[in-house]
Amino acid sequence: MSHLNTKTIKRSTGEKVFDVFNIIILALLAIVCFYPMWYVLVASLSDSNRLMQHTGPLLKPLGFSLESYVSVFKNPMIMKGYLNTFKLLFWGLLTNIIMTSLAAYFLSRKGVLWKKPIMIFITITMFISGGMIPFYQNLQQLHLTESHWGLIIPFMINTYNMIILRTSFESIPESLIEAARIDGAGHFSILFKIVLPLSKAILAVMVLYYGVAIWNNWFWASTILSDRTMRPLQVVLREILMQNDVSSMTAGVSSGDVEAVGATIRYATIIVATVPILCIYPFLQKYFTSGVMVGAVKE
Amino acid sequence: MRKKRLVALATVAALLAASITGCSSSKSSEETTAANGSSGETQTAAPAEPASYPLDTDETLTYWGELNVNIASNYTSMEDTPLGQAWQEATGVDIEFQHPAIGQVSEQFNLLMSKQTLPDMIEYSWITYPGGPTKAIDDGVIIPLNDIIDQYCPNLKAYLEANPEIDRMVKTDDGTYYCFPFIRGDESLLCNTGPMIRQDWLDDLGLEVPTTVDEWYEALKAFKEEKGATAPFTYQYSSKGLTDYNPFAGAFGAIRDFFLDEDGKVIYGAVQEGYKNYLMEMNKWMEEGLIDPDLATLTSDQVSAKITNGSAGASFGWAGSNMGTWIASGQSTDPNYNLVPTPYPTLKEGETPKFGRRENNYPGAGSVVITTSCENVELAARFLDYGYSEEGHMMFNFGIEGESYNMVDGKPVYTDMILHNEDGLSITATLGGYTRANTSGPFVQDKEYITQYYSYPAQAATLDLWSATDAKNYVLPPITPTVDESKELAQIMNEIATYRDEMTLKFILGTESFDNWDTYVSTIESMGLDRALEIENAALDRYNAR
Amino acid sequence: MSKKASSISANTPKVSFAARVKKDFIRNRSLYILVIPVILFYIMFHYKPMYGAIIAFQDYVPRKGISGSDWVGFDQFIRFFQSPYFFRLIKNTLLLSIYGLVFGFPMPIILALLLNELHHKKYKKVIQTITYLPHFISLVVVTGMIKDFTQSTGLITDIVVMLGGERSSLIQNPDLYRTIYIVSDIWQGIGWGSIIYLSALSGVDQQLYEAASIDGAGRFKQLLNVTLPGIAPTIIIMLVLRIGQLLGTGYEKTILLYNEATYETADIIASYIYRVGILERNWSYSTAIGLFNSVINLTLILIANKISKKVSETSLF
Repeated sequence: MSHLNTKTIKRSTGEKVFDVFNIIILALLAIVCFYPMWYVLVASLSDSNRLMQHTGPLLKPLGFSLESYVSVFKNPMIMKGYLNTFKLLFWGLLTNIIMTSLAAYFLSRKGVLWKKPIMIFITITMFISGGMIPFYQNLQQLHLTESHWGLIIPFMINTYNMIILRTSFESIPESLIEAARIDGAGHFSILFKIVLPLSKAILAVMVLYYGVAIWNNWFWASTILSDRTMRPLQVVLREILMQNDVSSMTAGVSSGDVEAVGATIRYATIIVATVPILCIYPFLQKYFTSGVMVGAVKE
Repeated sequence: MRKKRLVALATVAALLAASITGCSSSKSSEETTAANGSSGETQTAAPAEPASYPLDTDETLTYWGELNVNIASNYTSMEDTPLGQAWQEATGVDIEFQHPAIGQVSEQFNLLMSKQTLPDMIEYSWITYPGGPTKAIDDGVIIPLNDIIDQYCPNLKAYLEANPEIDRMVKTDDGTYYCFPFIRGDESLLCNTGPMIRQDWLDDLGLEVPTTVDEWYEALKAFKEEKGATAPFTYQYSSKGLTDYNPFAGAFGAIRDFFLDEDGKVIYGAVQEGYKNYLMEMNKWMEEGLIDPDLATLTSDQVSAKITNGSAGASFGWAGSNMGTWIASGQSTDPNYNLVPTPYPTLKEGETPKFGRRENNYPGAGSVVITTSCENVELAARFLDYGYSEEGHMMFNFGIEGESYNMVDGKPVYTDMILHNEDGLSITATLGGYTRANTSGPFVQDKEYITQYYSYPAQAATLDLWSATDAKNYVLPPITPTVDESKELAQIMNEIATYRDEMTLKFILGTESFDNWDTYVSTIESMGLDRALEIENAALDRYNAR
Repeated sequence: MSKKASSISANTPKVSFAARVKKDFIRNRSLYILVIPVILFYIMFHYKPMYGAIIAFQDYVPRKGISGSDWVGFDQFIRFFQSPYFFRLIKNTLLLSIYGLVFGFPMPIILALLLNELHHKKYKKVIQTITYLPHFISLVVVTGMIKDFTQSTGLITDIVVMLGGERSSLIQNPDLYRTIYIVSDIWQGIGWGSIIYLSALSGVDQQLYEAASIDGAGRFKQLLNVTLPGIAPTIIIMLVLRIGQLLGTGYEKTILLYNEATYETADIIASYIYRVGILERNWSYSTAIGLFNSVINLTLILIANKISKKVSETSLF
């Protein structure tokens, strides 16, 4: 404790040192974290023969060529894939947020008799599942295959996300909700008029988590949609990446004498299939500013 | 509509009943197959009547199969490809193609198997069905084809009758036909993999193309010392298809997996003395820096980089996808760059190599079955038989005359549209759209395809060089364990293979002493090797008795 | 369910259980109506297909379905317990998770706190955005890079040599495998992981800082007394959830990063299942191992939850 006190006294210089230190550390981290994205971008713009011969780190494109992007956009599934993905994002996020909020709100209320059993009922599903085949057969019975709804409805609530949202809801002062109850507000309107507006930051996280999950859902997308033109963008990316790298491991299915998709095309596909989702974050960032809630909480 | 369906169902039922009774005699004799093996062949019910294509029908059939990635980058479905169109037009049958995601074929196949209604036809590597093709019939997935081939498939029947060796591969132990197979129609199509070396470096150093292990050692040493190669010999070690046939292991007389010994018995390579000698040699090379020090983690990209940028001077890989691309890339920066194939190495000068990577004529992939859900078996059978007819053969191998090939001096020659595409598409991509020659499917692959596909002389030279081995005598034919045994075998071999792969690499890297060789062998034996050999040998006996 | 309910009623013996149910229903009726779609969702998409887990006790054939497949009791489990690799797999899986927990879990929190101390708004946003990028690069590419950097001529190997190490392939060294795995995990996930904490930080009441400031607390003291307590519920819940995943490490990164030379430390339950799956296509066996994992994980999360409930106010249930 005494150590702390000395720090408190010298805080102006100590703090300055810390600030400088902090800025440098974060800058270093940012450089290291930026590298993979930079590598992919630079590789996608390189000359394919020179890239093939290259080993070690890449700092700038080897030569310059947009050829790979031309061939990626020639791929007939790219544009359709974009459309499908955006459609799935819109409807998916809408249902995700509503359903997850309902569950999280219920579970964040105090003094509800059946809350704990219901919570256990839900948590169990995080650990025990029937596996792929029964899940698939279930979708068939519900006529959810061959439709985009089959990629939305069964994934409406992610329990993990729901628990995070609930934790955040729990921190909203009970007095606010009680006051609204006394004013005669129903739970539905409390959720949408009080709780959700107070939870913009965590909702931004939910949008990000769910959005990225929808964006990356390739397995079920390719499994339940036999019509390739209905499949989202990520399936294309996945197919191109898998072909080169895992076919050797899943030995036996194909002979192996398959011409690899050019590395530049692979990297260009990654860029094309990733950049749009990256753009979500900067828009959501403003909700992370400290103190958003304070004004509203004050009575 | 409903009535028509019922009639069709009744026909299928009748057919099924016929085929089941037809096979039942051979099924009961499963244990004693060796005694009366070829019971399946004797039943010729009705003579095959040739069909006149296009068939007169307005039915649509469903066809499930992998869409090769080279096709997928230009077409969304087989339906859109020129070949898919031509195939439907020529046979007069409408097909609804269904494609699993690339790279997820086996997962999605398993999900498909759980469906109540299957597609009419499924293209898959049916020898890998858990429990084998016999199990697939028992499970009620596919229908036996003996009677169907007799009645509706004159082309396939004629081909199989003319090629008894292949005929033996494409049926089960009890003589049941189960698929419309993909067949590599010529010896030269079987050996597409082998060792290769930088000719320009050899020339600079005044060396000959190495043929023995000692000569290889000299050449690699020279590459390291005089050419500054950091990884003189490199190849994609993690690829099972390659490492199972490592050329140096072969030179010491023991590849790592099962193979046939001199007496025609199945033995396991990784516990042979020859395998130990191979590992000791590799360990020496590794310590002297003649093999890529990163052997275990190499990706195909890294191998390509090293062999084309002068870090490596020799490799092991495919003539088509590796050698061709490497020469093109290497020459783009170094005009002298040249890769040539070498024969599979031997221990002594002038020996014929014992091993070499050699596929079976029936590799398994790309075979099409008719499922139990198919309501018009005759139509499906006639549709699939087309690939084995004269016209179908040309279509699957060369595409459409006048578009993708022309007849020159009686031989089909690909057009420039295929070989030198104006839009910059690779041969693989153009061939993928117009033919199935460079993938697989229900037809017989033609050797005229490969000579044109191999555009560099060095690639063409592989055809003779890499097939000049005795591999045919030592490589296992496509044998199938019985349903129960296959499970046991897979369990045993899963554990053995993990241990073998781990130890093999440790021996090569020198992290495990050769003093522990005996412990290694006895550990593998304790994991049930004898039982595995018993199963394999029994399966081989049944195969030989087919 | 009834057992749970009775334990609740046992706490308050004065009022009969039925009366409490009735009172609760009257009070919270509209709340229960709200949760009906949620319950339906879990029944339709989680509980309905859950019966599939029983194939762990079968010799399952997809074509025959569960009703048509043979029952084998605990054979699949026994096979796993008797596998020569059983102890190695458990050990490797646990060690990897525990190291991940000890070294990986605090990192995003530290990043979030450091970001929180930045006053330059623009700089903060840029750093935030950049650090979250690696999460989006496909694992195939990221593992390719890791292998590239740690091979005998790789960038990181160069640095090791510069610091006096011996030149060798780091990724082929079983002793270094876990380090490489964990460090690269942190590298790829630190920014993404910090988002949840940043969001929690934005919910901390500013008045508390002002009050602390007036009391003369420095920034470090504010961090300890205001910031950390403010985000503690989030941290605890994340920790509890993470502990529930100790045996659940996925296979993808492992199969892309390991090689035969590092099996010794790298092979985990998930990668073993993956190999069995390829070689044997044995659905029942992999389901059995999965079920075994679930039981352990469920136990762990219950313990973690109990501890958290005792130590702090926060708990799952």
